[in-house]
Amino acid sequence: MARDYDHLFKLLIIGDSGVGKSSLLLRFADNTFSGSYITTIGVDFKIRTVSIDGQRIKLQIWDTAGQERFRTITSTYYRGTHGVIVVYDVTNGESFANVKRWLHEIEQNCDVVNRILVGNKNDCPDRKVVLTEDAKRFADTMGIQLFETSAKDNINVEEMFVSVTRLVLRAKLEMKERQNVTQNDVVNLRKSNKQGKRKCC
Amino acid sequence: MYATKQPTLRIKQADLKCKNGCGFFGNAEWEGYCSKCYRDYMQKQRERNTSQEKAEHSKARIPGFSKFEEKKRQQIDKKNKYLKNFTPVFRKSSSAKDSGKSERHHELRHSNPEMEKLTAEYITKYGVWGEHVRKDFLKCVNSVYTKILIDIDNKPIEDIAELIQKYYNMFSDRLNRNSVYEEVISDVRDQMLDFFEKFVMIGLYSVLFCPHTTNDEEKDLAIQDRIRKLSWVTAHHLGCCISETSMEVRDLVYTAITDLLGIDSVKAPQEKLACVVRCCRSIMEVLQHCQGAPVSADEFLPALIFIVLKGNPARLKSNIHYVTRFCNDSRLMQGEGGYYFTNLCCAVSFIENLTAESLSMTEEEFKAYMTGVITPVSAWESALVACESMHQLCEHLSLLKNLSERTDAVQKGTGELKENINKFKNEITKKVSSVLAKTPLIIKPRKTLIDFDLHESTNDNLPPPIIPIIKARPLEEIEDGNHNLATTNLFPFENTGNADLQSQNEQQQPAFTNFYEQNLQLQSIGLTSDKQKSTLQLNITPCVPDLQTTELSFDNQSLNLDEQQSGFLELSNVNYDIDFSDLSADNSVAEELTPEKHKSPSFTPDPFSPIGSSCNIAQTPLLPSSAPLLPTTNTAPESTSNPNQTNDFFLPAAEADRVETILDQTEEMCTANLPTPLKPTTSQYSGFSKQGWQIPSIPCNTGDYSSLNMSQSQAWVPNSNVNVTNPNKNNQNNDEFEKQE
Repeated sequence: MARDYDHLFKLLIIGDSGVGKSSLLLRFADNTFSGSYITTIGVDFKIRTVSIDGQRIKLQIWDTAGQERFRTITSTYYRGTHGVIVVYDVTNGESFANVKRWLHEIEQNCDVVNRILVGNKNDCPDRKVVLTEDAKRFADTMGIQLFETSAKDNINVEEMFVSVTRLVLRAKLEMKERQNVTQNDVVNLRKSNKQGKRKCC
Repeated sequence: MYATKQPTLRIKQADLKCKNGCGFFGNAEWEGYCSKCYRDYMQKQRERNTSQEKAEHSKARIPGFSKFEEKKRQQIDKKNKYLKNFTPVFRKSSSAKDSGKSERHHELRHSNPEMEKLTAEYITKYGVWGEHVRKDFLKCVNSVYTKILIDIDNKPIEDIAELIQKYYNMFSDRLNRNSVYEEVISDVRDQMLDFFEKFVMIGLYSVLFCPHTTNDEEKDLAIQDRIRKLSWVTAHHLGCCISETSMEVRDLVYTAITDLLGIDSVKAPQEKLACVVRCCRSIMEVLQHCQGAPVSADEFLPALIFIVLKGNPARLKSNIHYVTRFCNDSRLMQGEGGYYFTNLCCAVSFIENLTAESLSMTEEEFKAYMTGVITPVSAWESALVACESMHQLCEHLSLLKNLSERTDAVQKGTGELKENINKFKNEITKKVSSVLAKTPLIIKPRKTLIDFDLHESTNDNLPPPIIPIIKARPLEEIEDGNHNLATTNLFPFENTGNADLQSQNEQQQPAFTNFYEQNLQLQSIGLTSDKQKSTLQLNITPCVPDLQTTELSFDNQSLNLDEQQSGFLELSNVNYDIDFSDLSADNSVAEELTPEKHKSPSFTPDPFSPIGSSCNIAQTPLLPSSAPLLPTTNTAPESTSNPNQTNDFFLPAAEADRVETILDQTEEMCTANLPTPLKPTTSQYSGFSKQGWQIPSIPCNTGDYSSLNMSQSQAWVPNSNVNVTNPNKNNQNNDEFEKQE
């Protein structure tokens, strides 16, 4: 089967409500979205193909609801996710405090997943509450890469997504190398994952 | 329109009556029959178990009834499902397990009209790729059938699902590797894979959907019951912004609900997914319509939950499980369908785990809602439960509520505006009153002036100050120039008045008379400039009551003299009006004088003696003017106070007049003449000099006679001398004046 991509990754954007998850997604996807075959499906689901190291990677990014009341049920989103983007608002200290909970949620729902920490709305130094140093220290202790972006001013958004994609791609290639498995087996692995989920239900 | 749809959305209480119409209440568990009828029904059902599906599908093929037929099929499916649920029991009891299996197999392979339809579809779609492709395809499908039908009763549903996924993968591999499919292009291969999935799943639908080995049925009922209990939940509770009153939004919402309900009427997993996607896209439209901005998951999920709650789709849980188990995994985990299906799963799990907290309300409130203590009426509810008119009523009610809220807001706004206006009014009145409280200062100055006069008058009864008037008068007269005659007439009156009033004045009066004579002479000469000033001062200072004004008017009329002069003279009492006239008439002099007067009080204290002298002098001329006209009235009130006051007033004026001129010209003379230690005399001179500077210029301009002007300058010196010196010397001064003249 001839595909227009070499890899297909599913990314998840999580974080508190109102931190700008959707705007990040919109900013990233709308730059090259016009040519895509999916035209009008709201903000919460976007596809964009990027090219990294000569490989065409189709990114499928899922937006999630960040409200507190939905936190317990968002676990369904994690299925088959390759990378998770945890977003907080640099002008909102509470959203940064909740990052820990989100990371914990990821751990509970995914065995191995590539994570990245993103401080969004980094466009108004006057209103910035979460200092870069603090976020950096936290990210280092958790072993996560930190990005400070602004969807509004288009700062660092592209870089952030590319960085996540690289992470995911590297992880996938490493795993492939290590296990030296065929594509079939990969599918099987996913299937077993899925089965585990089913038992939960 | 919606009223007609309603039965599909809700099972009303009436529906629960026995379907047989025997009058007893039916039960959902008994397919809507009462217990007795159900038993009969079951027996019949068992007998025509196989034939029923045939009949259903033959009906389904009739064109033009798509919607109705769908509903019908749905219902029959449901019945079948129930049957299936019960068949194992009966089968076991009849110990016909094997026969049942073969029966089913037979049914699937030969008598299922769906299969025929699918085969026909295959031929139209992929017939072009040759017979061998078709044969291989059907072979694969049949192998799946046989395998699954064997395993269905022995293995848990999870294993079967895994098996199906394995078959999908196998077929995918086969498509890509087997030589049979070499000719098929890649796009079609993908489509064939999808069709394979569809073919297999539709064929096995009756077996795999809501299998009897699972408790999906119970879960369906549980979730249905749960949603029914949560029918009171509104969009507002979920925090999503669906406006109930908009017609377009309402239509979109119903479209979404219809799409969601359609999930139970199709068989293939991808078709079910397509229903979900259609539903979610409608929701997206709703949200876009409501908030006019790109929709994010934060808004989408609550809206989806709302739609699920309002739609209450049949066998929701069974459908979800069916899709998760048998839909091609790759489709479920990616793509739009996968995303929306995931959201649907989230919505369902949210509804299952819904608590008071997740609706952000108190436990009591939640319980009250759940137990039916509180029963909110919403437009949605009425639309789904009751008739259209009821629905409209509810919508209108909500509109009215909206309107009343707005009117309340408007009323509140007007109230605030009123308050503000009142506040503003009060503030303004306060300010005005405060300003008025301050502004009385206009009156105060008069009083203060009077006070000054009083103090000074009491303090200073000095006779010598009388002298300065002489100077003043000449000056005034000089200015008035033309009115010399009038002044001469007035002065005698004044003198008489003064004589009546006070002894001091009387003493001074002779001097004044002398002065007047002098003045007359001066006037004739044209040296009246000083006089005006003095009169002006007098006018301002006394602040005499109304009586004086009347007097003034009388004076003016009676005298027929020039208003200015008459004013001056009379003003000794009345002052006020005349001052203005003076000012208007002789701007330069009047203006200069008035400020000086104001300043004078501050200056006066030190040089008391000179001031007193000046005041006295000023009084004398003033009083006479008023006295002759209204002798009794004027004298009575002023007898004690006015003269003194006038004196005070004169002081500053006198000072101002003399300060500089005297200093310049005749300091020695003044000092020498003064019998008493009148140190302030110097100040008088200085004041005088000040005016003197200005005065000369004025008389020069106004003076009628050029020769007189010359005499003025000469006369100035003697006048000043006279002023400073005692009244006793007035005669001498007069003599001097006469001589000069």
